[in-house]
Amino acid sequence: MIRSIFQFCKRHHLVDILAFLALMISGALILVRGAEDQGYYWQWFRVPKYIYQFDDGRFIAGPILEGLKITLNITWISLILTYVIGLVTALMRLSNSLLARAIARVYLEITRNTPLLVQIFFMYFVIAPILDIDRFAAGVLALSFFEGSYASEIYRSGIVAINKGQWEAAYTLGLSTYQSYRYIILPQAIRRILPPLTSQAVSLIKDSSLVSVIAVYEMTMYANEIASETFLVFEIFFTIAAIYLALAITLSRFVAYFEKRTQVAS
Amino acid sequence: MSAKQFGDYIIHVDKIGKTFSNGVVALKDFSTNIRRREVVVLIGPSGSGKSTFLRCLNGLEEIDSGSITIDGIPLDDNRKHRREIRKEVGMVFQHFNLFPHLTVLSNITLAQMLVRKRSKTEAENEAMDLLRKVNISDKAKSYPSQLSGGQQQRVAIARALAMKPKVMMFDEATSALDPEMIGEVLEVMKNLAVEGMTMVVVTHEMGFAREVSDWVIFMENGMKVEEGTADHFFNNPQQDRTKLFLSQIL
Repeated sequence: MIRSIFQFCKRHHLVDILAFLALMISGALILVRGAEDQGYYWQWFRVPKYIYQFDDGRFIAGPILEGLKITLNITWISLILTYVIGLVTALMRLSNSLLARAIARVYLEITRNTPLLVQIFFMYFVIAPILDIDRFAAGVLALSFFEGSYASEIYRSGIVAINKGQWEAAYTLGLSTYQSYRYIILPQAIRRILPPLTSQAVSLIKDSSLVSVIAVYEMTMYANEIASETFLVFEIFFTIAAIYLALAITLSRFVAYFEKRTQVAS
Repeated sequence: MSAKQFGDYIIHVDKIGKTFSNGVVALKDFSTNIRRREVVVLIGPSGSGKSTFLRCLNGLEEIDSGSITIDGIPLDDNRKHRREIRKEVGMVFQHFNLFPHLTVLSNITLAQMLVRKRSKTEAENEAMDLLRKVNISDKAKSYPSQLSGGQQQRVAIARALAMKPKVMMFDEATSALDPEMIGEVLEVMKNLAVEGMTMVVVTHEMGFAREVSDWVIFMENGMKVEEGTADHFFNNPQQDRTKLFLSQIL
């Protein structure tokens, strides 16, 4: 009897599900208790109007959704730039030119070994006035150069993983270096690195919150403002955390789906 | 075979030397001349420099000394010369090196369109002709991974031939194949030889060497040990080293 119950539970992962629920509930309780111990009063009912409102049945986006729009804008523009910068840097690192390799190397060492926050400030206070660009552009550029350095390593690993014989075959057929990359090497490399490259987009979404430090009004910036005006600190930040989570998970699922599909194809 | 009419010398190799960065000497003062329509077979123990010699001929490896001239074009630092030579010298690799993301047909048409500037229809017609020639036209729409090793190697030969090369090089083209597939690839190579293609072949297939070659070069340690016609080489070798090698391999 006990054994059959145990087997039933095992078959349906009941034990795992219960353990998971217990963990989640106790985590939530600790959070709530912790906040209450500090004399915090939860006021979730005040949150929705910062997300959206209905005025005469008309949908009006609240500041959080306005911020989300900017966050998404920052993300997709930065993403394109990230992929371009990453590819160019990877090709420079693999090129025969010592100058190109040196430039790529210096760029990589600097961007990967300094905090993103500092890079954003540097871009905004030093580079932006020179180029005469606004804070949005400065934020996008800082993010793109930061993520681009990581993307370049992904590209590079994908390119060097291609069998040397592919280069040799392309070479003996008379293809130029550009043609070899364009028709032989990159189509194969990109197929392999698509999953990590898309994961890069998830990092980008999360890191985009950092451009709030130069007062770009994206989601985190709005959240900061609302929180300091209303003292709904936990509610607002939990809300935007949930939105970031939803974005990231959607993308990750998409990556997983893609990974499966490319596996089947190859 | 001996009734074959050879043309003028198309490949001049003069005292080339090649030392790898790890200090291994692959070629030492190696010289040879090859005529049009001639089939030259290079044999020798592994590490003797046969493959390196082939790879130097089309510039896949750099030579340290000496000179190579193919159809009047010197293989030097001039990029135009190099590209010209690459176009004129076709190569077939041990591991086929087909492009796995392209269909068989695209494998054969790509370089024709990019390098020879042929139209798509022209390139496809040429490709289909060649696929028929290597007996594999029904696989035009397949991907390399769907083909057997022997089929892949025949596609690789068709791909090289599509560039209308003046010289074809085979770098142990049958060494990675299952025994029952070696025959179909050798058959294609034999037909090419009969048609008068200039061929430089590195192989361990002594039967092929004996039957098809016009000239055999036996190499060891980056140097020529002995050379001669197939008849001389297999029936009347002069050097003890050659005799030893042949006694082990035949």
